Amino acid sequence: MKILVCIKQVADSSDTVQIDVRTGHLFYAANTAFRVNRFDEFALEEALLIKEKLAGTSVDALSVGPERVSATLQRAMGMGADHGIHILDRADGYRSPFTIASLIATRVAVSKYDLILTGVMAEDTMASQTGQLIAALLDLPCATSVIQEEIRPERAEILVQREIEGGSRETVQLKMPAVLTIQPGINSPRYPSFSKVMRARTYAQELIKAEDLATEEPRELCRRVRVPEATSQGVLIEGSAREKARKLISILHEKALLS
Amino acid sequence: MEESTIYIIAELRKGSITQEAYELVSFARAIGKGKSPVFLLLGKNIQEQAAEMARKTGCDTIALSGEHLDHYNTLSYAQALAEILREKAAAWVCLPHTSMGYDLAPRLAVLLQAACITGVQSCVDGSLSRAAYSGKFVEEIVPTTPRVVVTVLPGAFQPCEETTGPTGKVKSKDVASTELPSQTLGTQESVHRDSALKDAEVIVSGGRGLGNKENISLVKKLAAVFPRSAIGASRSACDLGWFERKHQLGTTGQTVSPKLYIACGISGAFQHVSGIRGSQTIVAINTDIHAPIFQVAHYGIVEDLTLFIPILIEELSSN
Repeated sequence: MKILVCIKQVADSSDTVQIDVRTGHLFYAANTAFRVNRFDEFALEEALLIKEKLAGTSVDALSVGPERVSATLQRAMGMGADHGIHILDRADGYRSPFTIASLIATRVAVSKYDLILTGVMAEDTMASQTGQLIAALLDLPCATSVIQEEIRPERAEILVQREIEGGSRETVQLKMPAVLTIQPGINSPRYPSFSKVMRARTYAQELIKAEDLATEEPRELCRRVRVPEATSQGVLIEGSAREKARKLISILHEKALLS
Repeated sequence: MEESTIYIIAELRKGSITQEAYELVSFARAIGKGKSPVFLLLGKNIQEQAAEMARKTGCDTIALSGEHLDHYNTLSYAQALAEILREKAAAWVCLPHTSMGYDLAPRLAVLLQAACITGVQSCVDGSLSRAAYSGKFVEEIVPTTPRVVVTVLPGAFQPCEETTGPTGKVKSKDVASTELPSQTLGTQESVHRDSALKDAEVIVSGGRGLGNKENISLVKKLAAVFPRSAIGASRSACDLGWFERKHQLGTTGQTVSPKLYIACGISGAFQHVSGIRGSQTIVAINTDIHAPIFQVAHYGIVEDLTLFIPILIEELSSN
């Protein structure tokens, strides 16, 4: 069984992400630390759990982005991925989920994966699109928000439970090859030991330049990024911590919320 | 160029049309400058629901029926919808940003060679606004294709008012089933329910901002000060194992409407907010003044929880 996990590198904290007033786009301050998108860690862990259960399984990790992304792949290999694929994309500014998915789909079309996993969304852009788009571009079945999976290798099938509204679950049966986007909570992602991550530094990564991959034209553009308008009707309570506590209590009294 | 038609894909949950369908009418009128959208409804035996939509909104409704459309499935729904929408050179296709909407939208967009824009909150002269970085930033996205598929965040638009005007036309179409590599077998209700949350007058809940597992005792102690109270939690705090799953509030957890809701260290992602919006009074305590929870809170307190909650408990107890 061959599994691909698509992982995204994100800024560790939004505090170092700022708007460039000239271009209207986001940029990372020089002191920005990067890490793996938390949602993708669940996808990688699930792939590694399958590998431990099914003999002969290999796990590839793929990421799109500039040079710094190789550290993310290194960590994935430290966690237990066998191979790292880096699609080197140095482009600045807005990259739509469609552009990223079409880069990945073009690269993936040449390898035969039985299963492609990714997180249900990215923490930064929160679009919940890339996995589904990869599936659609490759004409593969896909299930999103997967909270449980059971592979039936002899039938080339996978049975999954999707988490839907109110915590209900939908059972879907998919023919492999298939794409799954993984819901957090499905497992507890492992922490790779320092020595494993250091050893992974010496592992080769496959490097492909984004411009060498044939992709489709973008279908939308980002006009600008801004901070949200303050739409809150709410009141920010001011003062020292104790003053704030007292003011809040008197408000709750007025509203008869304290007996 | 052909004039754009706006289509809304309505969702059925337990046989009833969801509130989001009516919110999408308001969104559609905003992008269509008042022009009426057309509803598309999929399922088995859905004539009654289609008629209800057409009557309540005055919008034309197309019911796509088939035994195999009883449960939502990406491929069967996408196939049935693409067959109709492909005929239109220009169209807006609007879905709710729910587990159905974000599952279906990208597939539909690829089939229709359309732009796909998800999690939309508002629209201003041709661009669609969506949140990034948990609401710290807003992206203004402009589609460049004649066909566009959009998912709109639940609660972002007010549901349209029921019309007193003429009812919309209802058209029915039977959809034949074909063999597909994906099949939905059924739905199961959640097993994680805390009935105390439903009845509580006060809910104190904790999120990732609590910092560590030890600090959940602060949430418990604060809740204990109030009679008829219960403990809630954000999804990520449950994923971290800090709270049992039955405490989870939001899209994939429970929906609550207490008299008082106190959010401690919860950033306020829309998935959480959609489950607590009905609370009469929302108090948010968070160190990050930019946290989106302050956008929905009636009273906001920017403080370190570990310092503030003990003081608040002390003041409440001496009151």
